[in-house]
Amino acid sequence: MSNIYANSYLIIFVFLCLGVLLPIGALTAGRWLRPHVPSDAKATTYESGNNPFHDSRVQFQVRYYLFALLFVIFDIETVFLYPWAVVYDQLGLFALVEMIIFIVLLAIGLIYAWKKKVLRWM
Amino acid sequence: MNDVWQSDWSMMAPEWIVLAAAIALLVMDLALPSDRSRRPLAWGAAAAAALAMIATAAMIPAGSASILHDTFRLDAFAKAFKFILLAGGALALLLVAEWAPKEGSPHRGEFVYMMLFALLGAMMMASSGDLLTLFVSLELLSVSSYILAGLRKTAPASNEAALKYVINGGIATAIMLFGMSYVFGLTGTTNLGGIARRLQETNEPYMLALAFLLLLIGVSFKLATVPFHMWAPDVYEGAPVPATAFFAVVSKTAGFALLLRLLVTIFAAAPSEGRDPSSLLLSMQPIITVLAGLTMIIGSVVALRQRSLKRLLAYSGIAHAGYLLAGFAAMSWAMIDSLWMYLLVYTLMNIGAFAIIAHIVNETGSDDLDGLAGLYRHRPFLAAALGLFLLSLAGIPGTAGFIAKLHIFIGLVVTEPGHYVLAAVMAITTVISYVYYFNLIVQLFFRPTFTAPLGRLPAGLSTAVVLCALGTLAIGWAPGLAYDMLAQFGHFGDFLP
Repeated sequence: MSNIYANSYLIIFVFLCLGVLLPIGALTAGRWLRPHVPSDAKATTYESGNNPFHDSRVQFQVRYYLFALLFVIFDIETVFLYPWAVVYDQLGLFALVEMIIFIVLLAIGLIYAWKKKVLRWM
Repeated sequence: MNDVWQSDWSMMAPEWIVLAAAIALLVMDLALPSDRSRRPLAWGAAAAAALAMIATAAMIPAGSASILHDTFRLDAFAKAFKFILLAGGALALLLVAEWAPKEGSPHRGEFVYMMLFALLGAMMMASSGDLLTLFVSLELLSVSSYILAGLRKTAPASNEAALKYVINGGIATAIMLFGMSYVFGLTGTTNLGGIARRLQETNEPYMLALAFLLLLIGVSFKLATVPFHMWAPDVYEGAPVPATAFFAVVSKTAGFALLLRLLVTIFAAAPSEGRDPSSLLLSMQPIITVLAGLTMIIGSVVALRQRSLKRLLAYSGIAHAGYLLAGFAAMSWAMIDSLWMYLLVYTLMNIGAFAIIAHIVNETGSDDLDGLAGLYRHRPFLAAALGLFLLSLAGIPGTAGFIAKLHIFIGLVVTEPGHYVLAAVMAITTVISYVYYFNLIVQLFFRPTFTAPLGRLPAGLSTAVVLCALGTLAIGWAPGLAYDMLAQFGHFGDFLP
């Protein structure tokens, strides 16, 4: 049993080797096979055929981050609520109580975000 | 499903109190208008922690019990460690009440309930008998602690501390989780008692030793022991003083609870390699011994060069973690007794010292050693109290620190074979630590003042200082008080499930 357990790591090792050797092998083979004719146009940034313009670094408004965070929280809530609602009849009272606790805690989080003016775009 | 209804949930009373207080204070903080002071919330939280402490004390005579197949265990060990955690938490919350950084304290509300959540995680950690609850409670403690470290949002040092803490803590958690995955993979259960039973039948010493080392690395990050101590001084220095006091005391106590729960329960009965397989824990003893020795030496020696009081106490905390780890390395029959005793005393003397440092930082805005100069001239009682805490940290006879250190020392010498080298290292580093503790005492009593006289100690801080000073003196002069309590715990006979 424990031999199987240790040997499972062999597969991970094989994948590790593959992961390291594949790109090295592919790039080296490509280097041997391809013609080498550099030009200025080839050295520009590849932008799906468009001409690259201005800086590659773009600043986003930091508030998107807070909205994204809130979205993820309620996303997860749905992920939990949906299967619970599907098998509601089998789970019974205990799961109902648990879900109510879960929703109340999330609601407190929403109130917190609201009170801290996260929901307002300033 | 029936198990859920039939469990005796009342044994979680201290946890319920802390959880209810945290949520109630959160809602109150949101409902209060923004110009109202949040100071009463901190007092309320301290009262809740004290109430939970009373609830824990009331449960001491009852036998051990558990909920849902040992995911929550209420044995003597859990009660004893929760007692220390709640005492430390209540005292740290008193410091939060009087927290007054120069940029103002708009986040005192968050400070209060995040500390309560962290305290809840620490309490659950002391009484979980399952890898899952152990890990979830560890994360509750850790994540809340990261927020606590960064609560001075406009201070760069505080942001740096939070970032360092979250990155280092995350790495430590990942390593520990990897170690847990080996333990789970070898046994197929997350229940600590079940793991211990299954491991007696398996013979996989190398894989287990790897798991042990990974878990030890994860735990020693939390304990801030060498070689994973580097985050502690930076985090302690940048975090607000009450949070520093909390990390130094409650996080460390919780870390040792985790160390004992995890490593002793899992590995004490697991077979090690060789013709005469003894316990894997015992075969790992040399590693722990070396780490304990290095922790004591590095903590004490580096503390000599510190100018910042918070960094100095951070290194002194590392040295104390080394003494505690030495007590663990001895693995005497009274190991848990002596660790509990040391952590109780450490809580009292450390929070007392941090309360006075909090006052100095509030008044002067810096935590430089010079802030102590000539304190005796204008605040004699304050200087005397800080002197007492420092003497106790140094382990001078007549203070609680001496009794606690003596316990660990005796544990090192009486075991067969005795750990004489570790005992010698402990004695030498204690003497080295005299240098920096006495340097502070010289500053307090014999140096001329060159800062403006400090104001009166506010109510929260003076309550904390008085309680800690009384505790330090009481255990120092009448150690029987602590021994009586230990006797109530029955020397933790029900620790192993």
